[in-house]
Amino acid sequence: MSQDENTTSGDWPSALVEIIEDFTQAFDASERYEMLYEMAESVDELPTSEWTEVTRVHGCQSEAHVRGELNSEGTFHLRGGADSRIVQGLIAITATALEGLSIDEVVSFSPAFVEEMGLANALSPSRANGFLNMFKKVQSEAALLEE
Amino acid sequence: MMAWTPERWPTPSQLDVNAARIDFPILARTLPSGKLLVYLDNSATTQKPQQVITAMSQYYENSNSNVHRAAHTLAAEATQSYEDAREKLRHWFSAQKSRVVFTSGTTEAINLVAHSWGRANLQRGDVVVLTEMEHHADIVPWQMLAEERGVELRWVPFDLETFELDMGAFDVAVKGASLVGVVHTSNVLGVRNPIEQIVKSTHAAGARILIDAAQAAPHDRLGFDELGADFLAVSAHKMGGPTAIGALLIAEDAFTEMQPFMGGGDMIREVHFDYSIFQENEHRFEAGTPRIAEAIGWGAALDWLAQWDTDSIHSHSLSLARFVAEELRAIPGMRVFGRQVEGDGAVVSFLHDSIHASDLGMMLDAKGFAVRTGHHCAQPLLRRFDIAATNRASFWLYNNEQEAQDFVDAVKDICQRFA
Repeated sequence: MSQDENTTSGDWPSALVEIIEDFTQAFDASERYEMLYEMAESVDELPTSEWTEVTRVHGCQSEAHVRGELNSEGTFHLRGGADSRIVQGLIAITATALEGLSIDEVVSFSPAFVEEMGLANALSPSRANGFLNMFKKVQSEAALLEE
Repeated sequence: MMAWTPERWPTPSQLDVNAARIDFPILARTLPSGKLLVYLDNSATTQKPQQVITAMSQYYENSNSNVHRAAHTLAAEATQSYEDAREKLRHWFSAQKSRVVFTSGTTEAINLVAHSWGRANLQRGDVVVLTEMEHHADIVPWQMLAEERGVELRWVPFDLETFELDMGAFDVAVKGASLVGVVHTSNVLGVRNPIEQIVKSTHAAGARILIDAAQAAPHDRLGFDELGADFLAVSAHKMGGPTAIGALLIAEDAFTEMQPFMGGGDMIREVHFDYSIFQENEHRFEAGTPRIAEAIGWGAALDWLAQWDTDSIHSHSLSLARFVAEELRAIPGMRVFGRQVEGDGAVVSFLHDSIHASDLGMMLDAKGFAVRTGHHCAQPLLRRFDIAATNRASFWLYNNEQEAQDFVDAVKDICQRFA
């Protein structure tokens, strides 16, 4: 995947760098999943009552919903929720990565951080896997906020 | 090149799992996680023995040619091997009095019935009976035909506790019907339906019957002529053969009621500017260059399977499924679907009440276990249980007791850590 013009591993936000470090130090995949389960609790949760067709991430095996918002400084803030804890954990990490960025920065952010975390499976284009769909939806939502 | 004859198959012996496993090179591979693959997604597709892979390579290396045309040596060899595969299928499924039409798989076989028999025989108001256990492949073609022709679809329910079809409801639904479509063995529940009884009741009601035997064929030789069904659909890739090929077995009188729906080369006897005359044998439903290498690969899979007693394949696979089902039922919060009784498929669908199916599937993958996660192309069936997905472990002849035990241990470990 060509990410030449995007945010790359050299300049991840510091909050994301910390998470990446934690994940790379994990003993095995099971421990990484445990960490995702914990991360899932930290997301600014979009309650199921606010799940609509507009917030839905398509092509995800679990039911996942995201909504991008502009906070008072005009920077990006992500809310989300999923019935899969792993997917909600990935939303939480995405939210941490993008928190406080400008819309332009969000739109050009590379999803490759998931690979660095040892979660390469989450990037597979299989229809059973929703991370990339979720990430792309977050970026297209962000682009709409700009208008 | 001599035509194939059934005498070439050996007298089958009891399944020897260790000996069988050696023939599947993929079972020796490790995953990116460093774990050895434990393949428990056999209901989706089985792995292929080396003999199948070699047969397909050898065809391309030595005999590649189009079939049923040309007078050269390669064409003769390719044609012979392709038609040999058909004869092997006829023999394997005891369909000597019937027709064997190659298709791309079970799905295309069912669509062939819908297009070639359905369009020729069904009018507005005619009834097709289906069950709530059907795979999407035996639902969607009939919905499309219903839309086009005004055909009525009737659904036979099943019991959510016993997982068995409501045969009382079936007897009511079949009255006045033209066709019954029924899954032999459910890909989600593993339940084997009372096919013999359904065939009898269907014919007593004057209807034709189509059986989706995709999940039955890997462990049951089906005895097509004796069963007396009109149509039976199977896929090669669920029984050790390659993907992209399957077959529709057709009883002779049903065959005469079908009209070709796909026109082109190979299916014709004569073509004129104003009309064409079609072939009268199976070729009339195999327009275009067929899947030659795949047919040969399927034939090689049958040659390989023929060394093992089918009943011993069935009882071995089912005993693994039964063990896993019992162990999983004992896990708090785990729901296990199906009965795993004699005759059923070696399938265990399960769902934990607090670990999402896709999470459990990913965690099992990280431990080396390939299981299916999702709706298994049977959304209406899952909706009856008010669920959207399950995990499913399915077993075949190369799976062993150690793999079943390791799988149970892995699921228990995940449940302890994440529930």
